Amino acid sequence: MIDTKSLLEQGLLEQYLLGELNAVECEQIEVLLVSDTELKTYLDRLDKDFENIGLENAIAPPAAIKAQILERISASTNRTAKVIKLKKSNTSKFYLALAACIVALLMVSSFWMYSQLNDMKQQLQTVETDNTELNTTIEVLNTKLEETNTLYTAIVNPDTEQYILMGNTSLPEAKIVSYVNHNTKSIVINTERLPDLDVDHDYQMWADVEGEMIDMGVISKNKSLMAMTYIEHAESLNVTIEPLGGNDHPTVSRLVTNVYLR
Amino acid sequence: MQDDTTLIQQLKIRDERALSLLYDKYSGAIYSVILKMIRDEGKAQIILQDTFMTVWDKADGYDVNKGRFYTWIYRIAKNKTLNVLRKTDLLIQTSDFSVYTDKEVSISMDPEFLELKGSLNKLEAHHKEALELVYFKGLTHREAYTEMNVPLGTFKSYVRQALKQLRQTHAKTLSLILLILNAL
Repeated sequence: MIDTKSLLEQGLLEQYLLGELNAVECEQIEVLLVSDTELKTYLDRLDKDFENIGLENAIAPPAAIKAQILERISASTNRTAKVIKLKKSNTSKFYLALAACIVALLMVSSFWMYSQLNDMKQQLQTVETDNTELNTTIEVLNTKLEETNTLYTAIVNPDTEQYILMGNTSLPEAKIVSYVNHNTKSIVINTERLPDLDVDHDYQMWADVEGEMIDMGVISKNKSLMAMTYIEHAESLNVTIEPLGGNDHPTVSRLVTNVYLR
Repeated sequence: MQDDTTLIQQLKIRDERALSLLYDKYSGAIYSVILKMIRDEGKAQIILQDTFMTVWDKADGYDVNKGRFYTWIYRIAKNKTLNVLRKTDLLIQTSDFSVYTDKEVSISMDPEFLELKGSLNKLEAHHKEALELVYFKGLTHREAYTEMNVPLGTFKSYVRQALKQLRQTHAKTLSLILLILNAL
């Protein structure tokens, strides 16, 4: 370690100022300078002396040198400043563009999805309506099928007997085919060949039981095959023309056809 | 000299005007040192430019507690000049460091630039030479004392004495000026 005395004797401060010492020696001197104000004052004086020598011996360099230095400096600062600016604006512009793209994409896609959603809703409604309609149709068809099935079963049953009622002189073109099953007690008639009536009248069917006419039902105008009420011990089947909706007692004068059961 | 503090602070925040003013103040002294060391105007001008570029780039590294701003620049310039001289030495393949001080290498400058001015000339010849060797020729104390052919201790006291006398002449001049100013 260097002390103040040897520092002065060895002219180390002079060498320190002239930049002759290595880093370790410089550090040691700097440590001493911090604690020793007297030494610091001495150094400052030396420092000033050296500066005076330098300034006294100044030789003015050509003016161009200064211009060149300032040019190099402003060129370097401008360049770095420019580069930074460009970079910054480039990246921010890039991110801005990216964000704009994303927003635009989102807007377009959400609009597209919204229209798709509307389409879907409409389609769903159509499908639902169709479905309801179809269901109704199926129900109707089912009912019809059931009816037809019932009638068909009744007709194709081996015990079923077929009686044909031919029109009398008042309605010669009329023909009703009846299927009677005494075991299952059912009667089905085919009215395909029965001429149409006016809107105020209906055909009505009657069973003759020991001279008494018992109502078997009004024949529907829009069905070609229908079941009628089965009456026990019926001797014959009779069809009359009655006012719309049927009558309690048959109007015998308007009998159009009849058949005797065996 | 007090206003240097402000200028240096401005320099550290890369104020070009501060560099310009500091250049005006110190470039002459620094240029003189470089010229006397390298003895070539062209090279000296390049080194001077280089020195101030380093001052600009490394301004942050200057610590006011470790010496005056002038001294800081002086050391930068000296190191740069010594580096150039060493390269030249290597090129002409001479290991003897003192070669350029003895045999004047190529002097491509006005010989007037080598002359010392100011109060240095009032010193005794050996004091003046001692200072010249370490201050203007870039020699270390160890190189300079062999150059002067005196013991190292003697050489060191030459330097110290030289500086002491310089200060006294300064003080005399200053008091003379003050006296004149007072008289007026």
